[in-house]
Amino acid sequence: MVKTKLLLTTIFMGSTVFAQGPAPEAPPAPGGQGGSAVDLSVKQKPTLTPADMVNQSKEYFTGMGAVVKRIQTLQDQAKREKDIIRLNCVTDKLVQARVNVNIAEQSMATMQDSIARNNEGEQTHEFTRLTIVNQKVTVLGAEAENCIGEDLSFVGATRIEVEVDPNIPQYDPTQPGSPFIDITRPPSASPID
Amino acid sequence: MNRRFALLIGLGALLTGRLASAQEVTIGYQGLPYKSTGESNAGIQISDGVLLHTGIGVEAGYDTNVFYASTKEIGSSIFRFMPFAELTNATRTGATSNLLSFDARAGLQYRHYGNSEVSSRYSDAWNPNAGLSLSLGGAQFGFGVADVFARVEDAPYANPGNIDPVTGIPTGVPPIQRTNNQASIEGRWAPGGGRLTTVLRFTNMVNIYDDNGAGSYSYANAMTNTLMLDVAWKWLPKTAIFLDVQQSIVSYLNQSQAALNKLSDSYPLFVTGGLRGLLTEKTSAVLTLGYINGFYSSGATTGGFLGSTYLDLAFTARLTQLSRAVAGFRHDFANAVISNFAYQETAYASYVQQIAGRLALDLSGRYQYISYQGETADANQMTPSGGNRIDNFFQLGASLDYFMRNWAYIGVGYALLDNRSNIPINDYLKQQVFARLGVTY
Repeated sequence: MVKTKLLLTTIFMGSTVFAQGPAPEAPPAPGGQGGSAVDLSVKQKPTLTPADMVNQSKEYFTGMGAVVKRIQTLQDQAKREKDIIRLNCVTDKLVQARVNVNIAEQSMATMQDSIARNNEGEQTHEFTRLTIVNQKVTVLGAEAENCIGEDLSFVGATRIEVEVDPNIPQYDPTQPGSPFIDITRPPSASPID
Repeated sequence: MNRRFALLIGLGALLTGRLASAQEVTIGYQGLPYKSTGESNAGIQISDGVLLHTGIGVEAGYDTNVFYASTKEIGSSIFRFMPFAELTNATRTGATSNLLSFDARAGLQYRHYGNSEVSSRYSDAWNPNAGLSLSLGGAQFGFGVADVFARVEDAPYANPGNIDPVTGIPTGVPPIQRTNNQASIEGRWAPGGGRLTTVLRFTNMVNIYDDNGAGSYSYANAMTNTLMLDVAWKWLPKTAIFLDVQQSIVSYLNQSQAALNKLSDSYPLFVTGGLRGLLTEKTSAVLTLGYINGFYSSGATTGGFLGSTYLDLAFTARLTQLSRAVAGFRHDFANAVISNFAYQETAYASYVQQIAGRLALDLSGRYQYISYQGETADANQMTPSGGNRIDNFFQLGASLDYFMRNWAYIGVGYALLDNRSNIPINDYLKQQVFARLGVTY
């Protein structure tokens, strides 16, 4: 699970970087090695227009909504199956996802405000924040899918072993006795015919 | 319906044993064993879930007093054999399906007296018996039907009025031939978790003595219909307090003959309550106290404080897993054939011990004080001063069986019947010893 989280985070962080557009060309390294130098810098300025940012953010919200909905479905499923371990795991992811969606909503509002004020730096900051939050929600969705629950710790069906004292009779002594047929020998008599 | 009922009837009570109703313990001489004392794994699997048990037992011994005589006892060797077959859905380990259980069995007892004087007057007897029980239902609702049939033939009583002075054998008196059939149907209801259980049962019993002329008991042929409602509340899984109401109608089939012999129809009512079940994991009890009334249509009827009181105390202790002791006392009344009814005080005890799954020891005894009430048509059954007959009856039974295999046994048995009456002609002492051998599978 940790590996999955790491992989997904790496992928989404990577996509954040690419979403910010190509980085400006780095200044030539001292010593003049030319084309053999590797560019490891992160671009600081996005190439997206404000309208693109808003559209992209809306797509993020659609995606995050779908993820939250999916986690809710997983939560209901765990409730139905009475799988308490999985339910705890999924609920934890759902709570985190909702918190992140709230953060995203705040960022969206701030970003729109900054666009109105033409504050380019703030726009970029909030858009980056939104992107990261979206990635977190996506990762939480993936983690929720991977909640295993009792399957992982299943050790077999619950077995109850009752030890009954062998002295205790197996029949139910509280029941009324069976009617008994009376064939005892009658007393001596000299009947009148 | 308790499956043991039919089995006990088939093998035990046909002889001199008698069920002590509360604990369903057979008191007196035990009949031939039905199965091995240990885990026998017996029975022929004839289809899925149906077992056939079958067997035959032979007894040979000596009877010291064939005719229950107070004087001039006639002894005789005695030989009995009894084949039986049983069809059941009980498994070999005894457990049955919770939803359906059935049991059908039939047996036959053949009896022969070796004393030629006896056998010339009283031919060999063939006593068939059969039982059927079916139970349906689950934990909340249940339904059961059962039928038990038995025919018993036994030698008549000898008394100074009918005894042959030379042979000591009663003359002009037929054997006691009795046929009894009892059918019952019941519904069981245990709502919710089963703490409250209700049983409604209807029982029909027909009791017929063969009419073989003078001296037969056919005047006492009767039909008894009983409706029982039993409600028990379990405050522990195997311990309950209960209320039991039984109303019966006892009708003599030949009213004129019954009236001649001072017998009248009755409508006995039993309203009892108490405790049933385990006291500890090793001890159980049935403690019953209640009101009874015979409601005889004519003549004497039950009355007074003691006469209207029913008391049944029975204690069972499972001393070990292989031994059980039972002791009990009961005060009640019962229909009688020489007068309307008799008050009965009964004390009994039983001890059963198994040893290594091979040996089975059974010891039991009973004392009964029987006080006949009401008019009697037989002047011989009254004291010179006109008092009613009172019997003190003792019964002992012992048997020891060794199972050579789980399907073959050999054993010995002893029975004692001793009656002491305030009318001396009713006194008798009868002892029987047996060696027995059989197979049962």
